[in-house]
Amino acid sequence: MKFIVQRQQLISSVQDVMKAISSRTAIPILTGMKIEANANGIILTGSDSDITIESFIPAEEDGMINVEQIEEGSVVLQARYFPDIVRKLPDNTVEIESDENFNITIKSGKAQFNLNGQDANEYPHLPNLQAENSFDIQSDLLKDLIKQTGFAVSAMETRPILTGVNITIENETLHFTATDSHRLASRRVPLEGVTSDSSNIVVPGKSLNELNKILDDTGEKVEISVMNNQILFRTKYLHFLSRLLDGNYPETSRLIPDQSQTVLHVRTKELINTIDRASLLAKEERNNVVKLTTKDNQLLQITSNSPEVGQVAEEISVQSLEGENLKISFSSKYMLDALKVIENDEVIIKFTGAMRPFVIQPADDDAILQLILPVRTY
Amino acid sequence: MKTWSELTEIQPLASRIMTNSIQKDRISHAYLLQGERGTGKEAVALLLAKTLFCSNRSGVEPCQECNACKRIDSGNYPDLHWIEPDGQSIKKEQIEHLQKEFTYSGMETDQKVYVVKGADTLTPNASNRILKFLEEPSKQTTAILMTENSSSIIPTIRSRCQIIDLKPLHPQAFQEQLIHQGISRRSAVLLSTLTNNLDEAVSWSEDEWFAQARKLMIQLVETFSTNAHDAYLFIHQQWLPHFKERPQQEQGLDLLLLAFKDILYYHIGRKDAMTVFAKDDAAIENLVLFFSQEKLLDILNKLLDAKRKLKQNVHPTLVMEQLTIQIQG
Repeated sequence: MKFIVQRQQLISSVQDVMKAISSRTAIPILTGMKIEANANGIILTGSDSDITIESFIPAEEDGMINVEQIEEGSVVLQARYFPDIVRKLPDNTVEIESDENFNITIKSGKAQFNLNGQDANEYPHLPNLQAENSFDIQSDLLKDLIKQTGFAVSAMETRPILTGVNITIENETLHFTATDSHRLASRRVPLEGVTSDSSNIVVPGKSLNELNKILDDTGEKVEISVMNNQILFRTKYLHFLSRLLDGNYPETSRLIPDQSQTVLHVRTKELINTIDRASLLAKEERNNVVKLTTKDNQLLQITSNSPEVGQVAEEISVQSLEGENLKISFSSKYMLDALKVIENDEVIIKFTGAMRPFVIQPADDDAILQLILPVRTY
Repeated sequence: MKTWSELTEIQPLASRIMTNSIQKDRISHAYLLQGERGTGKEAVALLLAKTLFCSNRSGVEPCQECNACKRIDSGNYPDLHWIEPDGQSIKKEQIEHLQKEFTYSGMETDQKVYVVKGADTLTPNASNRILKFLEEPSKQTTAILMTENSSSIIPTIRSRCQIIDLKPLHPQAFQEQLIHQGISRRSAVLLSTLTNNLDEAVSWSEDEWFAQARKLMIQLVETFSTNAHDAYLFIHQQWLPHFKERPQQEQGLDLLLLAFKDILYYHIGRKDAMTVFAKDDAAIENLVLFFSQEKLLDILNKLLDAKRKLKQNVHPTLVMEQLTIQIQG
């Protein structure tokens, strides 16, 4: 294998790929980075077996030559040293060459590195692309979807399936759902022109977080393909693969109440600030409990009480308040998490009694839904 | 032992059980391989993994040629997970890693294989975590547990695994192998009692440390008979500085055990079974005169006690001191 590449291009590609490589891996080959050269350009691959990132540098793009003198081949080199080497090389171009014994030579200007590589055949084989089960989505929308649901995944390993986000496609609708069994976040997006059948998968929340970091929100297209045991997010030069969680996601649609006894319209910002203030005295070991009480004259009272510290009470006016009066306690942390991801000035909160879960939705959009279970207090 | 047919020569029964279940496509979800060092536990595990992953196996035999087989050999196959004791025992983090892997889908295939080496070193906590998986195996997952000490596997795990017993190697055959490697018969006899692993035996026979250890052992036994009061000093001046690490200390006790067993064998006339001393050694006659049969039995018991204490993390110096005093008295 041999090629000469522009150093800047290589640096940014290596940086992307390094996000997937961890120093503690289950199998030794994954401490390395795979470099593959073919006539179209070069592909860098990094993986920690949970996620895999591939970065592609095209040989030619918009008349600019990025990679030249390509001789096809592939090799795995040690990821511990490669990024620093590339970053500190003197010249604007880098020549990388490997021989049949996997000795790698990196040349730039007058500097020359000889590194020991490994056989690329030892590297895990990535699943072949199946085009039929794929669809396109805007990257900023995808980031929103991740942001609005990813926070609600469970951090506990006791029910591993809940550490993932459930992604379903049905009736031309893409549905993200995450729950840790105390709260639930979900969002629907219409999909157009999806020919594939319904699919139902669970993607680890950690992988989606990584994806969120690596995607930029320029609104470019991301192609999502679901394969047998992996999911692929593909942008023009970046492939992001994640393994899936094995198992059946619990049926969540039954949890969402379809009627309500008390409905609130409230300004998001004000509610966030009020609950944030009340939560200052709420204790973490008591689930950060704050209490919401409806008053007459379209007023709400938010209170929090820690016997050993003190108490706080604040009134907040609402846009409208319909239905029965209510006293309910809930975790301020869950409430703030849910409100913060709703990017709308007004929210609707629907209650069905003090012991039943309640639903938070943006005032003009029912595609986003946040569900929180109340806390029993005495 | 690269193929099932090669394995059949050494472990006929285990090989039969495994090949039959492969042929009938009835591979169990969990195996417990039990057998002493060098009986081929790892070989069986590797073979089974290859058989499951190999892309063009012929009958039961994996091809050894394809990419999957090669990567299994080099430890780079992503759907095969090895868990080995990290130091003394298998740590909680390792089990957590394994549990996480249970919940993820496979990386390349749907088949997953987990190999737990030294399953007896699982802490009770860790074994109970593994239990969960053994109770509700997900499809196409195979667990292989390996142990030298099957009695310390908790019964709840044993009952959920198919147990494969690997027979101890035939000592005579092993000795012949060693002699074939150019090791003298006397050393071969001794080494064959200490290990079943050919490579290990050969490396020991060339090891300066091991030769010295053997000399010290004989000196110590003689000191007990001729000058019992010096034994305590001997322990401190010679024995402890030489046997520094835990495995070395255990080996030292093993050697002592063999020596005293020899003396007992001489007593009861089983001179052929002796391993450390030669039949016509002048030294052993003195030793036989000095140690009575009852005394020897008592010493052997004390030695086994000392081994157990070492395993339980008693300070090695204290173990040796106590042992010396007990043998003196």
